[in-house]
Amino acid sequence: MIRVGVPRALLYYQYYPMWKTFFESLGAEVVVSPTTTQAMVSSGASRVVAETCLPAKVFLGHTLTLADKCDFMFIPVVRSVRKKTYNCSKFLGLPDMCRAVIPESPPILEPEIDVNRGQRDLYLAIYRLGRRFTWNPRKVKQAAQAAWQSHLDYLNLMSSDKLTPPQAIERLTGTSQPSLFGDRLEIPLNPFRVNLQDEPPFTKGDIPHSPVSHSLEKRNGQKKNSEMSGTHKATIAVIGHSYILYDEHISHRIIHRLEQAGAKVLTPDMLMRQELEAAVIKITGRVYWTQEEEVVGAGVHYLESAVDGIIGLTTFGCGPDSLMMDVVRRQATKLKNVPFMSLTLDEHTAEGGLITRLEAFLDMLQRKKRGKSEVCASA
Amino acid sequence: MRLGLTHMGNLYVGIRGIASKVGCELVVTPPTTQLTLSLGVKYSPETVCLPFKLQLGNMIEALEMGADTLVMPGGPGPCRFGYYNKLHKMILHEMDYKFHLVTQERGIMHIIRSLTGGAPLQQVIDGFRFGIAKLNAIENLERLAHKMRAIERNRGEATRIFRESVKAIDETEDHKSFKQIRKEYEQKLTSLPTVESPAPLKIGITGEVFIVLDPFANMDIEIELGKLGVEVRRTLFIGDWVKLNPFIYKLGLREKDRSHRAALPYLARHVGGDGWQSVGEKVLHARDWDGLIHIEPFGCVPEIMARNIMPYTKEALPVLDIIFDEHTGRAGVINRLEAFVDMIRRKKRKRKVQVCA
Repeated sequence: MIRVGVPRALLYYQYYPMWKTFFESLGAEVVVSPTTTQAMVSSGASRVVAETCLPAKVFLGHTLTLADKCDFMFIPVVRSVRKKTYNCSKFLGLPDMCRAVIPESPPILEPEIDVNRGQRDLYLAIYRLGRRFTWNPRKVKQAAQAAWQSHLDYLNLMSSDKLTPPQAIERLTGTSQPSLFGDRLEIPLNPFRVNLQDEPPFTKGDIPHSPVSHSLEKRNGQKKNSEMSGTHKATIAVIGHSYILYDEHISHRIIHRLEQAGAKVLTPDMLMRQELEAAVIKITGRVYWTQEEEVVGAGVHYLESAVDGIIGLTTFGCGPDSLMMDVVRRQATKLKNVPFMSLTLDEHTAEGGLITRLEAFLDMLQRKKRGKSEVCASA
Repeated sequence: MRLGLTHMGNLYVGIRGIASKVGCELVVTPPTTQLTLSLGVKYSPETVCLPFKLQLGNMIEALEMGADTLVMPGGPGPCRFGYYNKLHKMILHEMDYKFHLVTQERGIMHIIRSLTGGAPLQQVIDGFRFGIAKLNAIENLERLAHKMRAIERNRGEATRIFRESVKAIDETEDHKSFKQIRKEYEQKLTSLPTVESPAPLKIGITGEVFIVLDPFANMDIEIELGKLGVEVRRTLFIGDWVKLNPFIYKLGLREKDRSHRAALPYLARHVGGDGWQSVGEKVLHARDWDGLIHIEPFGCVPEIMARNIMPYTKEALPVLDIIFDEHTGRAGVINRLEAFVDMIRRKKRKRKVQVCA
């Protein structure tokens, strides 16, 4: 059986169910790399120049671990999935970069997805990819249709059941994302002492059914620390690319940390595509990057909805984010209603520093709520 | 309408040529200085690339001088360049400037139409021909200057004459005197006294278009190389950029470019910016150049991709990467250039000795 390697990084979080269905219906076996570890990051980073962004280094680390475990490496080039909207340069050069810096990698499958070139080219790209596994064009077509169906299922599952990508992937394909650290945090954040929510705290049973009011661990369907499972004292939106937010190593489990402190965490995936797009169009006129909705769209949307704070996660040297996060920051400064913090991560970011900043942010939120009257009185 | 001009090397000469023919009022800002850069850096996001900061500085200076219209080209693409205009607009509006920003969102014809204010098409074409002719003339003189700098007897003569020529070309108003001036300066450059020496080193310069074309951004890297007795080879010129980007590449001819074809085995597709070309230049000129200097702004993602791929090409050519940002010091750049040139000289000498033995 032909084994196809899929690195668990970058576009994995957006398209994995589709890829898996496609290859499996063509009779191939899909091998996914394990969750990110420090060793992977180091091995990936040692192959490329220092300024390469962290997600790309992580991707190379995953590719390296898969190099001897598969017959083909699957690194698609997703140039654009919508007319005149492009992806960041790193997605376009990834296969060539991997070939250059990882000579031991097996042959790379690199279909180029570009809807600007017309449907024919798109179908041809998929067909050429499928031809590696079967001589029968009809089989390729059926596999592609099944793959597209499973992608739609994946999107539906995420928006209807409010799942994060790793959870939805686990449910659909059985590929779980085991946490490296278990459920315990070595240094937990201080739990919220002040309730930032105006409405009475609700319990797990009666979470209202609006798209933004579900918490991650409700969706997770598992019980966590008893003290915080019932009520949420604050709602915090975390915005950023899915390959940063859901990679526990890159993001230092920021979502989990916030939840343990008693916050309800919202992410860009919990919003509908239309909402995100509308928010982007309102601010900049047109969607420019494929990933823009995750940052500008979600940021602007959450700025205008009643969340207690927004945390923007970026990695150092991210080209698009350097502009997009600034758009969100400027919008936050203009509206002045929701506190916004931007965190820049790289492979040297120490957990301690991150926690300090998170704690300071949470303290600030609480002081804002609690101290308003006191400040007024003393002033 | 008063159009504020942003600088990129000698681009202003061409724009002024076009504007004079179509009757569009220009506010020509002074050449980029440290002050421009400081202004740009002050109001830009921290990790954005250098061209953004310089352009923003230029825009602020132009608006201070009374411009009310700005142009920022750049359509959709993977590079950050196309996104510039959105943030420029936000930043400048936050600073309470009143202006109109013309972008390429609706095509190059939209820019031309909204700037010329409905001038007849013949006039516009005439203007473009004049502007591009000027840029082409500068390009020719620049190539000559690159050659002469390496072998001139009195250092700095070629640079001085080239600068004079740019000024003279900028000031001409009609085709006739323009041709004369062009010939005159070509004559002046070729008749410079030269030193008798073996053939100078040929070092190519490639990389991100703005840094390559803007002498302020690249710390006059060509002049510094000339001082070291190096003949600079460059394939990217402003005239090309003006012709290719809006018109020829739009026809889908990008893939047919020589350097792009050369890069195909190592980088199979356009990655935005000039990354593709950078890889191609190295492959293409591995035989006829002695070295290559790859310059880029800090954090340029396409060039980072190129820089990752370049060392692994089969065609070997010494490459020096220099990364520019607002903190880059001139002395540091010169130091590295000297070391690079020394290294190539030594390598060449060694090879010669080996051949003789």
